[in-house]
Amino acid sequence: MSSEPIERRVSYIGDRLRGSRCIICGKEYFKLRDYCGACGRESFGKMERIDFFYEEGTLEICTLVNKPTNKFTKLGPYIYGIISFHDDKVRFPARLTDRIIRDEEIILDDLEGRKIVPRFRRRHAVDPSGIVPTISLAFSFADEYYPYQEYRIVKPSKEYEKPGIVGYGVYSSKFRIKEGIIERSIPFLDEDAITAAVEAGKMALIHSGIDHRSVGKVYVGSESNPYAVKPIASKVAQVLKLGEEDRAEGVQCVDAIDTEFACKAATSMFKDAASLVYYPDSEESYAMVIGADNSQSAPRDEPGGELDLFVGYGGCAFIFGMDDVIAQFEGWVSITSDTPDFWRRDTQPYPSHGGRFTGEPAYFKHVTKTVKSLMDRLKLEPRDVDYFVAHQPNAAFPTRVAKSLGFKEEQFLPSLQVAKFGNTYSGCSPIGLAAVLDIAKPNDRILLASYGSGAGSDAYSFIATSQLIDKRPRQKFTINYQVENRFIDYVDYGTYRRIKQGMHTT
Amino acid sequence: MKGMCPAIVSVGRTKFGEHYESAPESLVEESGLSALSSASIERRDLNACHFADYFLPITNKLGLEEGFLSELLELNVPMEITRSFGSALSNACNAVLAGKYELVLVGGMEKMTDRWDKIRDDLMLLEDPWSYYAGCTPEANHELMLRAYIKRYGVTGEHLDVLNTALAEFSVKNHRNAMKNKYAQFHKEISVDTVIKARARARRPLGLFDFAPISDGASALILTNSDLAESYTDKPVYIRGYSLATDYITFPSRNDLTGFVATRLAIKDVLKTSDIRLDDISILELYDSSTMMGMVSLEDLGFCEKGKAWMDIYKSSQENEDYFELDGRKVFVNMNGGLKADGNPLGATGGAEIFEVFQQLRREAGERQVKADGELRYGCVHELEGFGTKAYVYVLGRQLT
Repeated sequence: MSSEPIERRVSYIGDRLRGSRCIICGKEYFKLRDYCGACGRESFGKMERIDFFYEEGTLEICTLVNKPTNKFTKLGPYIYGIISFHDDKVRFPARLTDRIIRDEEIILDDLEGRKIVPRFRRRHAVDPSGIVPTISLAFSFADEYYPYQEYRIVKPSKEYEKPGIVGYGVYSSKFRIKEGIIERSIPFLDEDAITAAVEAGKMALIHSGIDHRSVGKVYVGSESNPYAVKPIASKVAQVLKLGEEDRAEGVQCVDAIDTEFACKAATSMFKDAASLVYYPDSEESYAMVIGADNSQSAPRDEPGGELDLFVGYGGCAFIFGMDDVIAQFEGWVSITSDTPDFWRRDTQPYPSHGGRFTGEPAYFKHVTKTVKSLMDRLKLEPRDVDYFVAHQPNAAFPTRVAKSLGFKEEQFLPSLQVAKFGNTYSGCSPIGLAAVLDIAKPNDRILLASYGSGAGSDAYSFIATSQLIDKRPRQKFTINYQVENRFIDYVDYGTYRRIKQGMHTT
Repeated sequence: MKGMCPAIVSVGRTKFGEHYESAPESLVEESGLSALSSASIERRDLNACHFADYFLPITNKLGLEEGFLSELLELNVPMEITRSFGSALSNACNAVLAGKYELVLVGGMEKMTDRWDKIRDDLMLLEDPWSYYAGCTPEANHELMLRAYIKRYGVTGEHLDVLNTALAEFSVKNHRNAMKNKYAQFHKEISVDTVIKARARARRPLGLFDFAPISDGASALILTNSDLAESYTDKPVYIRGYSLATDYITFPSRNDLTGFVATRLAIKDVLKTSDIRLDDISILELYDSSTMMGMVSLEDLGFCEKGKAWMDIYKSSQENEDYFELDGRKVFVNMNGGLKADGNPLGATGGAEIFEVFQQLRREAGERQVKADGELRYGCVHELEGFGTKAYVYVLGRQLT
């Protein structure tokens, strides 16, 4: 059972590691307070709010927890310790995440003193009807898979006539399963679609350099939200402090909404986000669209288990606006039909699918139609397109559809990431787009075609600008960085199923 | 304290351990009756009861413990519940000194094994909620303090081996002492090797044999003032000094991670407000819910230099005497087996420590009676709540001046 008020208070403080600093003496505190113990009454009203969400800290001391408390049992064993920030001015208790402790010898001296990055994760297990508890009292080492990156707000330098992408971010976990030539990303035990959405959004803020307060709306597309009712977007808005914060009320002045349309829940909102920031009277400078999934599948030996060969985990976020655009919209087309090729009924843990039916009358028909319509409308030939990105539930579908549309390998292979991350459902074609933006040149034309079962497809044409190159150095955590990383932990099938299940209680 | 001081006229306790068959009330009854009967006191003579349980409302879903006590004793006198024996006793002492009450029953109990299934979650959540939310366990904070200690004092290499052995010896000695204590939870001698192997098995700085167990049990005493004490017993034990102090709930937020500030403040106040010197204390009951906590508490109380208690413990263990030689002083430590071997039913633990010192000072400890060279002037009782969030120090003596 969860206590809603306690949950609200703990996650409000803990998700962002909120603290206070005395402006008289500089003393820092974990948690919000109205006066400084050192300065006493005169500090009343002179405490500024700080947080440690984007900070780099140090692991001071640690130990191994091999017999956790009940709520942490599924996470154990793990390293637990005390982390500090700002030269040991303030300390937090924290758990090392993203590490599976096996039989190795644990040498605490080798861990202590290392730089760390706080991570936003699930806090502990709850029963399936409870509130999903989250916290950032988890950390990973800054010199491993997930790098420390400063979030620096940059004043916009150029306003465009039409809206476009101003920044993007991709997040996948450091855990992978490799079967044959296919690698897939798997969430660590304390990760889910919520944490991936927050991570992707954080990466997009870092890359874009926009002020988080100037985001007017956030959309999160997912089909694996741990909640049937309660948006992921509200968590993203609060943790990333999107929109102006009303501190007195503890609310963010931002609109936030979750969308669902199988794997096109996020791409569908690109045009909505663009339209919103383009609207003449709009006060919203930026809109953020995130696609994030812990892609669900029945175990391999159960009906529908074919998906288990392809499902991935990750999130991808795009920020749309009129300033410092890296890729401009050229046009879009969407189509929809009521085609039940893949679905998940309410309360069911795993989706069902229509087998071979998911191919010809579903994926191929819709994707082909939107791409052809868009190219006709923009009077484009395949050779006019530099990169083609298609939804990629596997490697065969996007390859076949690209070839049938007349695209060559050099046009579609750069976007093909399914063999590295698996099918990340709502995050899938956005990750393909991100992979292309990581390498594209100014004036390149990028065609994106998503597909969502049920069924529909969105096609977009983007033209890259010179600012794509300018902003590139701001992001370390690129697609390539996440694909070719020596800290990737490859797990066996048994471990994969276990950690994919996360902290669900049975 | 000039003139009058609080006086203990009798003590009682149950065996500590796993009392699955007993209801909380029956343990309270057993310890209370033994305290009352050994001083021939009628319960109707009591003016008040100060009682302690750390978390009975959480473990056993029993609130309003005073009502249970009232029903059990068939008394309607003032009763108050606090969380530790140390706090119950300090409230009783304050009332006796103020002249408010003349005869007070002080008791404590805990029934931890009733909820062995979730006791560690409850302990941790109460001890330090933010650390709990981050994944801390009741053991982990002890290990972190040990890591902080080792780093602060630069204990490495062979010295670290000595420190680790010293902590193991501390546990071994506790178990050896408990062999002579019929109330102790464990009657089993262990070896240094056992302690160290358990750490290796756990891959942690401290192992199973470094930590006190979870326990059920109850303890009690009867408190009066020094003017009345001799009307109840020939050998009252006077509370010659007592003090308490408090520290932050969130362990990582404390300034010093290598010891317990609350203990340091409490002993400082005791020594300041009485004519007792540390050198006059020859018996010490430490609140050692881990061997590490025992070690740093020796320093916090001032018996050992900071960063050096492990050397004293190690050297003393090689001498194979009953006492520890701490910075040149002979001190008999944890003669009842300490929390490690006597048991640690939180609310009752402090009462068992007082029980031991009371018997030792009256030379009624039988097989456990310490063989001090001279007079046994003072015994010191140290108790902590949570992970050092509160500390209590009591100094007891047979003499009034």
